[in-house]
Amino acid sequence: MKKVILLLVVLFAVVIRSEAQLERKLENENQPVDLIFHAPRHINLLTVEHLEKKTMHFAIMHTFGTLDGGIENLFGLDNGANIQFSFEFGLSDKISLGASRSSRDKFYNIYGRYLILEQTQNNSVPLSLSFAAGGGIISNPYSFLPQNERPQFTDRLAYFGQVMLARKFSKKISVQLSPMLAYFTNPLDIYQIEGSQNFYLGLGFSGKYKVTDRSSLTLQYIPNLNSDLQSNFGIGWDVEAGGHVFQMYFVTSQALNEQYLLAGGNGVPGEEFRLGFNVNRIFALGQKKK
Amino acid sequence: MRRFLILIVFFFHTEAFSQEYLTKDGEVVFLSKAPLNEFEGRSNSLNGLVNLESNLLDFFVDLNTLKTGIGLRDRHMRENYLETDQFPFAEFTGKMSPMPTLVLGSKTAVNAQGKFKIHGVEREIEVTGFLTLLQNGKVELHASFEVLLSDYEIPLPKLVFYELAEAQTVTIQAILSQKKFP
Repeated sequence: MKKVILLLVVLFAVVIRSEAQLERKLENENQPVDLIFHAPRHINLLTVEHLEKKTMHFAIMHTFGTLDGGIENLFGLDNGANIQFSFEFGLSDKISLGASRSSRDKFYNIYGRYLILEQTQNNSVPLSLSFAAGGGIISNPYSFLPQNERPQFTDRLAYFGQVMLARKFSKKISVQLSPMLAYFTNPLDIYQIEGSQNFYLGLGFSGKYKVTDRSSLTLQYIPNLNSDLQSNFGIGWDVEAGGHVFQMYFVTSQALNEQYLLAGGNGVPGEEFRLGFNVNRIFALGQKKK
Repeated sequence: MRRFLILIVFFFHTEAFSQEYLTKDGEVVFLSKAPLNEFEGRSNSLNGLVNLESNLLDFFVDLNTLKTGIGLRDRHMRENYLETDQFPFAEFTGKMSPMPTLVLGSKTAVNAQGKFKIHGVEREIEVTGFLTLLQNGKVELHASFEVLLSDYEIPLPKLVFYELAEAQTVTIQAILSQKKFP
């Protein structure tokens, strides 16, 4: 009889189980955190936001003249902008390669990013870690200089490297620390940089405070660690609009790429603030059309 | 006593050939058709149960598995619209009414009523789909329905109106296998 009761219990268990709904289970327990930042760029710095394979990130960045000209110069918009275009391609879900051109000194930059760690929602990985490095060339011909005084090819090179360490602390707050270095082979006076050293060390700080579902207050601070140059400071507003991310900001420098950000040209917040504006867009490449 | 055992064996017997069909890799596609931008998202991780005996339908998909082809767009979708960190699943639980009689090889229209839940909001919906009993004993399912984002408190800001449609067409397709008794 005991056996029968046991069998009955098993039977009921089976019946009950088959009547029940499916158990809701996540496909991936270690789901990465989404959007530590809104875009692969944040004001002027690269972020841990990576590109997926076969996607392209296109960014146009502008920084204008200083605000102090007032309405006469339309708050700096008349003074000529530094404009940078960049294209970045995802070679895999972790590695991307990009190229950019800034109008300041007609600087061409080639860079790559490698996502090493991705923060997960269950905190099994507590932060995202990414690495970026690149090299560029100042292509301004300086044709107003006599032939023998123009910079040679080897005088025109500048490199950078940086580590990006970021964590989304809550739905609202994300912070990234980016130790950065830059090296100019020959920092000539004629270049639009303020420093005269070859080697620059800085610590980038990027902050995001989400205000609404699709917009955030943004912050950037890049103190120089081995020079007396002014530190770069920026404050702004990110807006997601469909496929675009717009970034509007006030910043102390016109510099847009890593090498120039570290080599100076920064003003004092309040005195030499200027407007800046980025447009980010991501495209999918090489996918079948329906 | 013996009769009792026979009865139990009989129960097991019917259980072993239960009318319960399962899938773990059904396909879910949503289509967003906005004036400026048309795109679709896709997942092949639809979990489903169709019980033709007890008339139970139960489906869910982990929304983290939806891919639109652009990674950043997926992240924006999860973070700002679906809020998958809080509401990871889209779920439907319901029943068929009237109960269909499936004929081998022929596509039978099925009317299902039940609760659909996404973004933490549950609503009664009615879906018309098709079930086909296949030669190999499996059941093929095909259904399509519309989801209005505002019904599920998924905000659609004016700024993105041209890029994201308010009415999303959701299509599900799956082949369900008869549950094997363990």
